[in-house]
Amino acid sequence: MKTRGLSRAAAAATCGALLLAGCSAGNPGTSSAPAGPVTTAWPDPGAGLQGVTLTLWMSTQTAAMADNVIKSFEAKTGAKITKVVIPDVYETNAPTKLATGAKPDLATWQPTGSMLALLKPSTDLQSLDGAPWLARQTPAIQKLGVVNGHHYAAFVNVPSVLGVFYNKSVFQKAGITSPPKNFSELLADAQKIKAKGVAPFFGAAGDQWPTQWWPQVLLAEASKKGLWERVSQNKEKFTDPEILGAVRQFQDMVKQGLFNQDDKTSKYTESGPALLKGEAAMVLQLTSFASLMQSTADTATIDREIGWFPISKDGNIATSVPGGDNALVAFKTGDPKREAGARQFLRFWLETYYPDYVKSAGTVSIEPAVPTPAGVPEAVKQATAALDDAAGSMQQNAAVNPDFYVNLANMVNGTMTPEQVTSTTQSQFAQLAQALGIQGF
Amino acid sequence: MLYPSSFLAPAFAVLAVFFFLPTVFNFVYAFTDWSAFHDDIRPVGLANVKAVLSNGALLSSLRITIVYAVLVAIMQTGFGLGLALLLERDTRINRFARVVFFIPVLMSALAVGYTFQALLKPDGPLNGLLGALIGQQVTIPWLGSTTWTVVTVAFVNSWKWMGLAMVIFLAGLKTIPADVLEAARIDGAGRWRTFLSIRFPLIAPAVTFNVATALLGSFNGFDTILATTGGGPAQQTEVLDIYIFRVYGNGLFAQATTMSLALLLLVALLAFPVIGYLRKRERVL
Repeated sequence: MKTRGLSRAAAAATCGALLLAGCSAGNPGTSSAPAGPVTTAWPDPGAGLQGVTLTLWMSTQTAAMADNVIKSFEAKTGAKITKVVIPDVYETNAPTKLATGAKPDLATWQPTGSMLALLKPSTDLQSLDGAPWLARQTPAIQKLGVVNGHHYAAFVNVPSVLGVFYNKSVFQKAGITSPPKNFSELLADAQKIKAKGVAPFFGAAGDQWPTQWWPQVLLAEASKKGLWERVSQNKEKFTDPEILGAVRQFQDMVKQGLFNQDDKTSKYTESGPALLKGEAAMVLQLTSFASLMQSTADTATIDREIGWFPISKDGNIATSVPGGDNALVAFKTGDPKREAGARQFLRFWLETYYPDYVKSAGTVSIEPAVPTPAGVPEAVKQATAALDDAAGSMQQNAAVNPDFYVNLANMVNGTMTPEQVTSTTQSQFAQLAQALGIQGF
Repeated sequence: MLYPSSFLAPAFAVLAVFFFLPTVFNFVYAFTDWSAFHDDIRPVGLANVKAVLSNGALLSSLRITIVYAVLVAIMQTGFGLGLALLLERDTRINRFARVVFFIPVLMSALAVGYTFQALLKPDGPLNGLLGALIGQQVTIPWLGSTTWTVVTVAFVNSWKWMGLAMVIFLAGLKTIPADVLEAARIDGAGRWRTFLSIRFPLIAPAVTFNVATALLGSFNGFDTILATTGGGPAQQTEVLDIYIFRVYGNGLFAQATTMSLALLLLVALLAFPVIGYLRKRERVL
């Protein structure tokens, strides 16, 4: 963007208001039109691609997920795929790299509106409208990864939902025979567990990001009634009673000592072993938390020891948070051969290779015609089933993604009040919304 | 022999491209709406300055940056001087020890940060060692205190760089003429008096260099802190560079640039008086 950007800035400075209005911000989907489905060709998944090299950006968490697909694709087509692992934090470092002018052909990416906005989908991403694999996927998946009516993300995995993973033995010892039916029951159960000397919940505020899940599950019903859309239009604020109330509730739980004693310094990776060992009774996490447990226990052990239920303020609604390991995006690179090659790779992964992929990854299939393999933990299957009725998370439904979690972690550490958390988050939200050019900010 | 001034051209070309140009861009972008969300870049006047000033986080980060830099300057210089005095004599053991203390300087700052993160966990080796010494379990969250963690990360950074400060002080100590020290000894000055009145004043240039590089270099503190705490807990070690990195990662490139401009101004404002004062001390030489 750099030198061109500077010259534009200089030009804009001298051209006056009319020209400035003409250079309006590129709100995704509102500026230059994406390649429509009419003109997009979808190459045969197995067609020869000798001499074509595609670059694929991945995070450290997703570094190995495509290895088998890549090997198979290269063998079948003759293409070469160069995998580039971007160091953590991927969601920060990848856009920074893009800003320097680097551009891959493909990348794994969190397929939510707010995160896709960082990639300037309307101008920089290939539209995947009309992709042959879309019709094969479940209806819930088909609705996701869409910005301003256009598909920009190819889902390869089932999107994560928020739910509570619990240790069955700890529940039994506390005399809890069935999962709670709403948040009040959850808190009552937590008190019973605390009375037995076990931490009811494992929080990992040392990593900051897990803190944001608590207010979000408390807002599931509100989300279904359009909370995040109203926040995105500046018709409702984080400081208003709905979100502030959820943050206060979370603070109340911390004050009551319902979390592990070392919550402030604990890391996400410590939450899996803590739950399996029964050091904590519950962990509120994404479906992908099962993979963390699978790194230290086999599926039979997980099924025997660990249960799962969704939770919301008034019931058992799950909250959907598509993650960085769920989908890929294809960039507009200006090279038609490579752009077509990227689309072909996605077709290969989601059509030709998909049955092998779910088997080797041990994951739930998102294509009804492809059976889910044996060895997938029961909790993951339940979480997947809950997706159909799930509410959208802030990441999924809000226009931008502020650092809500940083402010919540500050609250857990006692340096911010719920009022400060919500007002700081609101001002961050407004700044990002302004940068995106959203009306009303 | 005099060379034509055109010989300077290649050096100036490199300087222009890699130093002057980015600095100019830093100024320009700070007054635009450059972001990850659109390609157009428009001037916005002082809007970014107002935005970053309206947010308490900038002032909080600036405060933490200054505290961190001052702590590093004190600890790094202190550790370096202590080591230099301890290892001043040229014995075989001292020469070996100097190499050992210089090794962290050559190590990756990230590696140092991650190593200390593991060492300082509540159930980590340091607490284990302390527990073994006092005979009961120790679970101090060294990186979990909203008050003291900034001291801990300053210590980690000072530990990494103290070998360099030691070498600079050793070089300074070696330049002190032996006859001056001998005269002091004949005059009846003890070791402490010799140090205070002769040796320390005579290594003033080394003190200037060490304090200035530690203090001003720490204003750009990033890697060690990122690896040890990532700016936590509760943003209490979030120095300005980490804050800028977070804002940049959110896609607000112009605001991040405005903050880096604020850092540039802060360093410039502090560098001149600090270096000026230290240089004044050297005039006695």
